[in-house]
Amino acid sequence: MNSTSVFPRASLLPLIMAGALLGIPMLIGTGYLIAGALGVVGNAAPGALGRVLGDAQVWRSALLSLWIAALGTAVSLIGAVSVALLFSGNERVDRAIRSIAALPLPVPTVAAAVAMLLLLSQSGWLARVASQLHLIASPADFPAIVNDPFAIGLITAVVWKEMPFLTLVALSLQSLRGPAFIDAARTLGASRIQTLRTITLPLLLRGMAPSIIAVFVFVLGSLELALILAPSAPLALPLLIQERRTALDMASHGEAYVIALLATGLALLAVLLHEWLREDA
Amino acid sequence: MNRALSRSRVATFVVLTLFSVAPLLMLVMTSLARGWFYPAVAPDAIDFSAWQDVFTDETHRGALINSLVLGAATAVIATALALPLGRLAALSTRAVRRTVALLAFAAVALPPVALGIGLQLSVLALGLGGSLFGILLAHLVPALGYLTLVFLGVFTRWDPRLDEAAATLGASDLVRWKLLLLPLLRRPIAEALALGFLVSWSQVALTLLVGGGAVRTLPLDVLAMLQSGQDQRAAVGALALAFPALIVLAIAGAAARNTSAVVA
Repeated sequence: MNSTSVFPRASLLPLIMAGALLGIPMLIGTGYLIAGALGVVGNAAPGALGRVLGDAQVWRSALLSLWIAALGTAVSLIGAVSVALLFSGNERVDRAIRSIAALPLPVPTVAAAVAMLLLLSQSGWLARVASQLHLIASPADFPAIVNDPFAIGLITAVVWKEMPFLTLVALSLQSLRGPAFIDAARTLGASRIQTLRTITLPLLLRGMAPSIIAVFVFVLGSLELALILAPSAPLALPLLIQERRTALDMASHGEAYVIALLATGLALLAVLLHEWLREDA
Repeated sequence: MNRALSRSRVATFVVLTLFSVAPLLMLVMTSLARGWFYPAVAPDAIDFSAWQDVFTDETHRGALINSLVLGAATAVIATALALPLGRLAALSTRAVRRTVALLAFAAVALPPVALGIGLQLSVLALGLGGSLFGILLAHLVPALGYLTLVFLGVFTRWDPRLDEAAATLGASDLVRWKLLLLPLLRRPIAEALALGFLVSWSQVALTLLVGGGAVRTLPLDVLAMLQSGQDQRAAVGALALAFPALIVLAIAGAAARNTSAVVA
């Protein structure tokens, strides 16, 4: 149509480029995993699939990782929506809190995990304050919230890292949508609570849906948070993959490939859901 | 504004400020404290030795340089490839746009450990196992995913009329890129470079798996120090990781403000 544009509008070219740059590395990566799971490459013994599916440890790990991702995402979402609803105005305090809330956004996950460990461990800073206030007598009295079975410290780190992202998304949706719907509802006699419940929240959550899925899937696959803050039993899914892959027993290597495929499958489901929920494509 | 709302604003402000800032302050305090043990709430004395180590100790300096090289190369290559891809896809049909977006998001969302194991075997097959170049190839996968999404968004909202007008007036491809497109794209390019750098800069799983432990980067260095109980050095490393991230984003923000004043 527009032959004078810098790029021709042929639709094949972007597909070929995307296929070469994004599709092929992912296909190679997943292809090797499948070959490894079948025992074709990577010195793995066959029969790994059956062993993994019957392994209770694998399912406990999957449940722990899903718990971490679900609770971490949910708490981040509640925080983000609260900030967006309370501070979407244009006063100085609104602008200040929006900057403060965004502060952890670019901090690498490893740094966030180290900070949380120093803050929350049984000899960490909070435990020291508790000791000075005579609330605890020794580090062992402080509740174990790092490397704990419920992954409280890990989930706290997730919220610290991911809430800023969801807050920015929520704030930008608030400013894009404007007050028209809310004004209309209030004019028609809806109370503040009714407007919040039936207009503001549903619109906000619908717009945030793809970002919520993205956060969930990032947390699910994060190795570094688990390395520093996760419990040692059961292992989080990325750690379990690492453990089986580096095990001396060769049979375990095939299991690592199968579990990695399982994690890939979970992530791909989330990718499809993400695409389905996107409004603007 | 009613009193309950005002009170919840104050409470949220205080809690959120403490929550956002406390972990960073914790890193600063630990990085400056030698032998700061339980139950001391504050360090006895300030000590900069761990900061000097990052720049003078050969292992730490090597890790820092590896991270900087990988980050810069990932940023430049991924931006140079994702910009034309995002533009071509945005100018194409809806089906093509969605397919490209799907592939890009998949590259971002795949668990790095799973992707890393697969890529490790292929990088080994290429004879690049444990090399900086092999790790760069691996870092490019998620970086290209992120940046393709960025440029797809930029060009989907793009107004092609300026470019068309320039072409109608006889400007060549080269002239339009130099005088029109690149100046207009300064903001998204700055943001893309920043994001590409950060994706590589904070990467752990891909570096660990594809590098096979032979190549040490700053995040791996921090992990190693933490695991060997060197909290002070780990805190310095964590801050060294956080600083460029904050600076890079600040630069991207400044570039964005400068250009938006011209373009808007």
